[in-house]
Amino acid sequence: MSFFIKKMSRRAIVQALIALPALSLFRKLPDADASHADPSRADPSHTGASRADPNEIVEVNGWILRRSDLA
Amino acid sequence: MIFDSYEAYRAANFTPKVCILGSGPAGTTIARKLGAAGIPVVVLEAGSREFSDESQDFYRGTTVGDFYFDLDITRLRFMGGSSNHWAGWCRVLDKQDFEPKAWVPDTGWPIRRTDIEPYLPEVRDILDLPAFRPDMPISDDIRWVQLIKSPAVRFAEKFGDELDKAKNIAVVLNTCVTELAGDGKRVTGARLWSNGQDAGSFSADYFIICTGGLENSRLLLWSNQRSNGGVVPNATALGRYWMEHPTFEGGNAILADYNAFEVDAVNEAFFSPTLAAMERLQIMNFGIRLIETPYPGVKSLIADLACTAPSMAEWMSYQLSQRLRCAAQLYVAWEQAPLASNQIELSKTDVDHAGAPRIELHWKKTELEHRTLLEGLRLFGTTLIEKNLGRVRIADWISNGQDYPTNDETAGHHHMGGTRMGTDISKSVVDANCKVHGMDNLYVGGSSVFCTSGQCNPTTTITALACRLGDHLSKVVTV
Repeated sequence: MSFFIKKMSRRAIVQALIALPALSLFRKLPDADASHADPSRADPSHTGASRADPNEIVEVNGWILRRSDLA
Repeated sequence: MIFDSYEAYRAANFTPKVCILGSGPAGTTIARKLGAAGIPVVVLEAGSREFSDESQDFYRGTTVGDFYFDLDITRLRFMGGSSNHWAGWCRVLDKQDFEPKAWVPDTGWPIRRTDIEPYLPEVRDILDLPAFRPDMPISDDIRWVQLIKSPAVRFAEKFGDELDKAKNIAVVLNTCVTELAGDGKRVTGARLWSNGQDAGSFSADYFIICTGGLENSRLLLWSNQRSNGGVVPNATALGRYWMEHPTFEGGNAILADYNAFEVDAVNEAFFSPTLAAMERLQIMNFGIRLIETPYPGVKSLIADLACTAPSMAEWMSYQLSQRLRCAAQLYVAWEQAPLASNQIELSKTDVDHAGAPRIELHWKKTELEHRTLLEGLRLFGTTLIEKNLGRVRIADWISNGQDYPTNDETAGHHHMGGTRMGTDISKSVVDANCKVHGMDNLYVGGSSVFCTSGQCNPTTTITALACRLGDHLSKVVTV
């Protein structure tokens, strides 16, 4: 791995970085399940992403988000 | 006239009507106002023209409660006072800061903001400020607020020549009052300490205490103790209701548009709550300082990535020989609730070189303040979402209710309260004109008279109050 890193050019690093947001691995945000959200911020009647209001504001791992951000 | 010792001053046979203790922003401003009104005034400055360890040592003290700075580094004891190290950030307290708040006991001033607004043009001249601008609401809850980064006027540098040439202002360096004497109606004299030794007694018709937000209380507590209540006859609140502006890094923000807010020359913008939001959430005032990291292109990408994938971003940042932070940073400074238990006491064991007890500062933040910090960041985050301006992440220690970190900014070095203004003599020390309750000739200048702290840096309001007190005294003092 270290050999690989040393051999990477600055240009390659930048290109990899630009591509990162396209990879689902790095786009994956915390689970949209309301049970992970701050109960004081989320509507407890909404227990699944499919039934939740996408405009609802939830707090997940410190992030203040719209539920649609979690999709 | 400026004298380097009390002996030199005495040889000049100057007869003052008013004695001001301290040559910081409050003391110098009041002296200039009185001098302009033709009233002879002497300013006793404890230090010399420059910093010295010997003078600074008088400020040593201890703190009980929450972590706080060493008391001898948080202010300066030489000509110009703490203007010698202030950052120059300027804003006047909000209108709402002067109003009582039903959800917080002991709030509300006996004056309104409109009482100091007539002095703001004068304050701008003194502090070299551009025009004050109104707040701009960005939602029903949050407003953009102007916080001026001024040139940080050093009062001794700016006004030294003027004071030296003034015929009716005498500044006496290396000379301080160690205690005032009083009979419960008037200050009858003062004990002086000059150039490292007792310099005898001194008298004037009026005394104005402008020695800073900690020392004002210390001097009055010690004087009152020595004169059996003859200096502050109603002393229940003396030293109490002391306040700071706790300041911590509260989180980060990813902005959808880095041009959405007006930022200053160093890419910072400031935000505060509306009164309606404070009332709805039952919180105090606060100021969010948004520090943009306007990285271009790839750097911006890494900075934003640092919020969601910090390890990966750190590695990338290292490979690019950059040290990029997670998007914009959010620092929060907030208003403390005025509490009688946050107070300045006299040490029972430690005295300064002149024999006066040092300060024992009792300071503790409350649950209300943690809630103000948390709800404030939530308000800001919600506003960014509603206006499609970005997203906020609250720092883990705040969300999780953990202790305040000790490696953060901690507070603003703003010392307020201790001799607060009010009409209730059991909860205040001075009246609306900054005159000590029950005393005919004793006044207090500076932020120790603040009833509440608001969220902004205090020097602008200190200077406005000093202009107002100077005007008042120029009508009261007869020559």
